Amino acid sequence: MIEVQGLTKEYDGKRVVDDLGFVVRPGVVTGFLGPNGAGKSTTMRLILGLDRPTAGHALVGGRRYAELADPLRQVGALLDAQAVHGGRTARGQLRWLAASNGLPNRRVDEVLAQVGLTEAAGRRIRGFSLGMRQRLGVAAALLGDPPVLLLDEPVNGLDPEGIRWIRTLLRDLAAEGRAVLVSSHLMTEMALTADHLVVIGRGRLLADDATTEFLQRHGRTRIRVRAVDRTKLAALLGGDLGSLGSGTVTAEPVDGDAWEVSGAEPERIAALAAANGVVLYEIAVQQDSLEEAFMRMTADSVEYRAAAA
Amino acid sequence: MSTVPSVPAPATSTSTSTSTSTSTSTSTSTSTSTSTSTSTSTSTALNLLRSEGIKLATLRSLWFTPVLAALLTVGLTTAVGAALGGKDHSLTDDPGVGLYYGLNFGQAALVCFGVLLIGQEFNTRMITVSLTAVPRRGLFYGGKLAVGALVALAVGLIGTAGSFAGYAATTPGAWDGPALARSATAGVLYPVLLVVFCIGATALLGNLTAAMGLLVPTVFLLSPLLSGVPGARSVVQFLPDRAGQYALHYADNPQVVYGHWTGLLIMAGWAAAAAYGGLRALRRAEF
Repeated sequence: MIEVQGLTKEYDGKRVVDDLGFVVRPGVVTGFLGPNGAGKSTTMRLILGLDRPTAGHALVGGRRYAELADPLRQVGALLDAQAVHGGRTARGQLRWLAASNGLPNRRVDEVLAQVGLTEAAGRRIRGFSLGMRQRLGVAAALLGDPPVLLLDEPVNGLDPEGIRWIRTLLRDLAAEGRAVLVSSHLMTEMALTADHLVVIGRGRLLADDATTEFLQRHGRTRIRVRAVDRTKLAALLGGDLGSLGSGTVTAEPVDGDAWEVSGAEPERIAALAAANGVVLYEIAVQQDSLEEAFMRMTADSVEYRAAAA
Repeated sequence: MSTVPSVPAPATSTSTSTSTSTSTSTSTSTSTSTSTSTSTSTSTALNLLRSEGIKLATLRSLWFTPVLAALLTVGLTTAVGAALGGKDHSLTDDPGVGLYYGLNFGQAALVCFGVLLIGQEFNTRMITVSLTAVPRRGLFYGGKLAVGALVALAVGLIGTAGSFAGYAATTPGAWDGPALARSATAGVLYPVLLVVFCIGATALLGNLTAAMGLLVPTVFLLSPLLSGVPGARSVVQFLPDRAGQYALHYADNPQVVYGHWTGLLIMAGWAAAAAYGGLRALRRAEF
């Protein structure tokens, strides 16, 4: 369990993390989302005690990270898979880590097998692809069999098979009762992996919801309608739509003969069409993807928006 | 694929014990008996030393530089003794000059060793991984200093014993004299103080390249060259390598304003100051 409370970090007077609070619970994968520069990596470094907070605190299992004895047994972290010396072998890198927390050498071979690096264990990291380095970083995080895992962009550099592998691994680790915090900018990946989402923008908490609730709350539901007679449909949806839903209902034509209605309920559209003699041949409920929902909610807080966009 | 079972401290029991002590979260494990916490911290320190030892053994540049230092120290002293021992009076007038001829070159490798030992952590950003494994920065730094000092002590012992043996074999009797014990002690301690100084200075700078660029030319070129310049001599004699090397010499130098043992103390002062400065910088740094 990770508890973040009132966490604030300023660099030269600029707030990078601003009064952030959330909890990472055991048994679920918590996705940590935000645009580039939102403060995700800084937050993770603050949790691990690599940076000092300006205010607030982050606790792991009820303690500050620096107070943990043999922390690798309590928290497994992957911040930057490139932060290794290329001259060491994969096994060498894991051996010193294991020794530092009194973990048996047997664990080194176990985690190497778990991430599929047994064959490459004796090779220098210098010759590793980014994907192999990510696997080595995951192996290092798993070394102490920790109840809490914290991974910054672990799918970076992985091929599709590797992405599938890490998705399954993270879900399995959570199913074993571990608390898993994983940051990513790959929204579709998070939709498949995370049960819970913590979304930040400009260092501030934007959402802290179950993934399904987040989609319902921030993703629009649109109903796509097509009719045999286009002009009749246009006349129908161009008129008063107040009866179709409880809130604001809008309709707009999209790609040729189809219309999209938001804020309405599908059965009321069907009923209205029937009452007016309009024959529908398509009526489909469309939910925003996580990516669309995310873009909508972070639109205001995108730090480095492309000038042309 | 197995799902990570059975590590000595199982995840469940650890999380239980930590959650019960949440209410007294500020101080660590004071409630347990002192003997337990002492043995825990002892094993923590031993684990750290073992870990730093593995770091050293698994990286060629780290174990090769001290080996090179010992080889250069013994080899060049013996070679120069064999070639010039009977002829060059500057070597025999003060046996300390000929005995430690090789150390002039060996120390460059020692400087590299000290800088690389901690500098590579900064350079590769591996320090972020090291500090998640050992979050107490003073402890991590102490581990670096301890391993560096131990290796340097071995280089000092082997280098000094080897140099004496090699020089004695090639230049009989030249090494004997009333200053022998002091000079040999300094020969063993000089590498230790030099490496501690370099680790401290590198931690202070927080950068491998900067430390290498500053320390190697200073110790290897600038300091010996400037000590020959009349005006600079009075200041340069207080630099750590100059002061430490004076303790190696047998003869008094009228231009040096302190004694031989004091020279070693001056160098120890530099090493202590650098080590402390490095500790403060490391504690303040954000990674």
